[in-house]
Amino acid sequence: MYYYILDQNGLPIDKFEKLQTELQGLLSEFKISGETARVTPLRSIVDLVDTASQRGIRTLVAAGNDDTFNQMLAALKGRDFILGFIPFDENSYLGKILGARDIFTGAKTIAARRIEKIDLAKIAGNYFVSWLEFGVLSQRIKNAGLWSGMKMLSSEPQNLTIRVDDSYNVSITALGGMVVNTRSTSAHDEKIACPTDSLLDLLILEKLSKTEILRYRKSIAEGLLEKVPKTTIIKCRKIQFLQPQGYSLTMQGRIITKAPAVVEIIPQRLRMIVGKQRTF
Amino acid sequence: MSNNFEEKMEGQAETVVGPSVKIQGDLNSEGNVKIEGQVNGKIKTSESVYVNQGAVVTADVHAGNAIIGGEIQGNLKISGNLILQSTAKLLGDISCAVLRVEDGAQFSGKCSMKIEVTDTKNGNGKKLSGKSDKPELEPEEE
Repeated sequence: MYYYILDQNGLPIDKFEKLQTELQGLLSEFKISGETARVTPLRSIVDLVDTASQRGIRTLVAAGNDDTFNQMLAALKGRDFILGFIPFDENSYLGKILGARDIFTGAKTIAARRIEKIDLAKIAGNYFVSWLEFGVLSQRIKNAGLWSGMKMLSSEPQNLTIRVDDSYNVSITALGGMVVNTRSTSAHDEKIACPTDSLLDLLILEKLSKTEILRYRKSIAEGLLEKVPKTTIIKCRKIQFLQPQGYSLTMQGRIITKAPAVVEIIPQRLRMIVGKQRTF
Repeated sequence: MSNNFEEKMEGQAETVVGPSVKIQGDLNSEGNVKIEGQVNGKIKTSESVYVNQGAVVTADVHAGNAIIGGEIQGNLKISGNLILQSTAKLLGDISCAVLRVEDGAQFSGKCSMKIEVTDTKNGNGKKLSGKSDKPELEPEEE
């Protein structure tokens, strides 16, 4: 049986109601109806996941934005579910990664029920399948205008100390970077950001010249840091952010935790319903 | 072959240590490693290592293949090709299967290579094998 968690999360109420009606229609059409529960101030995603677990439900589907799915992951607390995602936001990164780009393909994907095992990343009690950011990248270069983006990328770099795989320390003067499990540009033949390789990718951006900023701004905004010269790339299983203390780690603009913090990969932990158009 | 190997290395490094990076400890990788910064400790990969010009490595390196353009203090144990580029400075011992040293490369240490020569001394045409730093060659085991 399917358990759908519907989350308004930032949407205007009229749009949310419309999407909810559209979703109910699609669930009936694809014969994947189940129990639908809406997130309210009194019923959080954690409560809904607990309820689903008590009822012995096997398949949980988050319908909302990327944050809805991430909150659902955090609420699992190690419990074993098959997970699905239906985006209410057409700009959803997760939707692109999983091959469910809109509400229609999301419902169709759930109906096709193609299940893939993918890696799950863990940080400070939170879980993610996508990526974390730190430094200037967390300030959303993508949404910034040309000049404010230039200004952010021209800011003074910080001295970071990161321990990798309990094996070596990396000291670097960096503008920022990413810890990637998977991303919307992932692909089977891509070595970076493959969600089935049991590895995290640590990408760290060094200080750039003005020419380099102009030339690579687009790649940086898209998170394709490996295309930028001098970028450090490390594949690993465990990353400890040691210094500077209090350094913020963010997920989709939201601060998740601050250094000191540990990010780890749990290989093949998630069973996800994915679509044909998935990026891995 | 070496040129192809160099070209392959340029585009396919899975681990890249940038110019401002200092690594302290044992760097183990399962893919190609490109070093542009500093490493103190050990480097180990079954694939290839590329130490760029300007990189400073104080570490023993165990790898499948290696191209050295920077400075290394440590022993290199390479199972395949080793190329010392013209900018290379190497203080340590080498063990490899194929070695290419470009004009201008600086190297101080012992070099050990597994070689095979024909036994003309005894006139039996048998193959003899040994290591280049050993004075005597021994008949190859059948």
